[in-house]
Amino acid sequence: MSFLPTIVLVDDEERILRSLRMLFRGRAEVLCTTRGADVVEWVGKRKVHVVVSDQRMPEMTGIEVLREVARVSPATMRILLTGYADMDAVIASVNEGEIFRFLEKPWNGEKLVAAVMRAAEIAASSLERPLIAPAPAAPPIALPSRKVAHALVLDAQGGVANLVRQIMPESIRVSVAPEIGMALDELVTHDVAVIVAVMSSEAGDIVDAIKQLKKLRPATLVIAVSSMQDSRLTISLINEGQIFRFLLAPPGRELLRRCLASALERHAQLRLSPVLAERHEVEESRSSQVTLSGRLLDVWRRLREGATRA
Amino acid sequence: MSAVIANRSQPPGAAAARPSQGLSALLRNTQALDPLTPVDSVADSMLDSRYAGLLSLPVVRGDEPIGTISRYEMMRVFLMRFGRELYGHRAIETLANRNALILAIDTPIDEAARLIAERIQSPITDDFILVDSGGRYLGTGVVLDVLRAMDASLAERSSELERAYARLKSSQLQLVQSEKMASLGQMVAGLVHEINTPLGYVRNNVEMTRNTLGDAGRLLGAYEAIHRSLFEESVEPPADLPDRLAEAAELRRRVDESALIDIGELLDDSLHGLGQIAELVDNLKNFSRLDQGLLQKADLNQLVASALRIVQHVMRKRDIEVIFQNGELPEIPCAPAQINQVLLNLLNNAAQAIEHEHGRITVRTQLMGARVLVLVEDNGKGIEQKHLERIFDPFFTTKEVGKGTGLGLSIAHQIVTRHNGLLRVVSRPGVGTRFLLALPVAAREVRT
Repeated sequence: MSFLPTIVLVDDEERILRSLRMLFRGRAEVLCTTRGADVVEWVGKRKVHVVVSDQRMPEMTGIEVLREVARVSPATMRILLTGYADMDAVIASVNEGEIFRFLEKPWNGEKLVAAVMRAAEIAASSLERPLIAPAPAAPPIALPSRKVAHALVLDAQGGVANLVRQIMPESIRVSVAPEIGMALDELVTHDVAVIVAVMSSEAGDIVDAIKQLKKLRPATLVIAVSSMQDSRLTISLINEGQIFRFLLAPPGRELLRRCLASALERHAQLRLSPVLAERHEVEESRSSQVTLSGRLLDVWRRLREGATRA
Repeated sequence: MSAVIANRSQPPGAAAARPSQGLSALLRNTQALDPLTPVDSVADSMLDSRYAGLLSLPVVRGDEPIGTISRYEMMRVFLMRFGRELYGHRAIETLANRNALILAIDTPIDEAARLIAERIQSPITDDFILVDSGGRYLGTGVVLDVLRAMDASLAERSSELERAYARLKSSQLQLVQSEKMASLGQMVAGLVHEINTPLGYVRNNVEMTRNTLGDAGRLLGAYEAIHRSLFEESVEPPADLPDRLAEAAELRRRVDESALIDIGELLDDSLHGLGQIAELVDNLKNFSRLDQGLLQKADLNQLVASALRIVQHVMRKRDIEVIFQNGELPEIPCAPAQINQVLLNLLNNAAQAIEHEHGRITVRTQLMGARVLVLVEDNGKGIEQKHLERIFDPFFTTKEVGKGTGLGLSIAHQIVTRHNGLLRVVSRPGVGTRFLLALPVAAREVRT
């Protein structure tokens, strides 16, 4: 009880703010506002552990608020709490907001408190050590050239795999797996920095595999490429899979290149200070494990053993 | 004498011929006349039953058609005084019509009909000659057969048209339905957000109230126990009193008077939220009514207010200021669900026309003579004149493919027209657009 984090709530409905303030009474110091600009100002001036933002607001949308928060105070954890999720907002929340959780109204009180308090704990350890350099305004153009990284493309068709091969400098090893089993073998034997996962409508096992993987290897960053405009699935990939970026298929070359560059850079940061990997911690998955076949489970066991040894 | 008559064909089944087919279906193997045949013997041939169906007989040298000799021409000659005596011994080629219509066998029937029509005269005196691609004589065709074939094909075409029209009509119905579904989908998305916001805090508040009341109950219990142990059980303070006091103090940290006051406020908020949800559901109910045919007395101000409530999220999201100036209106007979659809369409269009930061939509209602007017005015990008002319046309849209059906305003216009009302638009590019909806106060016969 001694740790009282600071959380900021922003919503254009004051009754939501009153209700949430009450929910966090005694658990956190709560600052509330209906204006996104206030939030950006506050996180610049004081230590804020978590920002919980509504999406649809006049003046600034939630994603705009969270993007600014990430720029001004990268250690602050970001959560979106919204009443209606259109696909554009969901995608932007991943790619621009880099959010910890995407939560929907009406919310479950216990779960909301649990998510916010966990985020606050994680933020506390990042805030202690000023390890995250503020994200550069423009993503770095050059891809890292040291041979530290290994990229894995999970692509049954091969189109995206070819694109990744063209984009990546030779110093980065790119392996391609047309199906999930091969991808897992690759993951067991190599320290993979970034996975580009191409998902089709039959990609249930890929989705589950990503969720499992992030539990064991939070430092491996996932770029999901999907032709499915399914907001529910994407939200579950955020919360339970902590995907780093979400791209609609087919991805543009330049966009994919920028995502890969950011992912490799983030991975390098995570290797330097493993505690930061907590920031990509996933929510307990609701659906997985049941659908994973015996063979996959076996690979997971090997992965898990590898992870505990490391 | 005569070089008459060989095998005469059966009159071909004209109905079976199709206009795009060649004339072969109409070919009659008429035995041709040699050009040197005397007029007298041609006259005899014309009485022969084998030539009965023909207006004129072909005159052919070898297989080269020379022309036709019509019954009409023979009649003209024979009706002359001494005509038969004068002309009877001459060769038929002297009387033959050298400009007879000669058609290739592969000429489509509709093309043949066109050529016949071009040179037709009253009375119809000649049939025509059919030749092969080398211009060699094949037989004759009868004008009447061509007309029958055309008639049959017209009947077929018109029934084809009828079928196509029926198909078109059903696909139009589908489109109207899909336009409805599209605007419904948009509306539902907005409503989900509108309902989830109050639902969010109401649910949270109720949960917290329940927890707080639980804590308050336990605190009361703790006080009760302290009270009992102090006043009932013994004169001496009981041994567990310190524990009980500690328990009460712990509970007091979680629930105190101020918490109960807060709970009161949260419950007020919850009531407000429930009221909002009830209002939204009520509006939704109005919109989803399918009893289109039913005419009701309705207050247009209420319909406008209800439509504004539905599009509120769009306006808020785009930061558009909405001004509603309602004049005093009598209730008018209309199909409220349909008028709602019109209003919703006008408001959505107005919102979509605004691309700048200082959006404003003004809705005014007023009574003018025997009409109730609703003006919807925006300060959006306006509509160009060339688009304005087509704005009520079905399928006309300036949106990207797939973004709009182009039916919204067309359906709105139809609805208003069925109400004996008017829907008018004025617009200036860069300044804004104003729609005027006028509905009669007294219903004449409204067809909904």
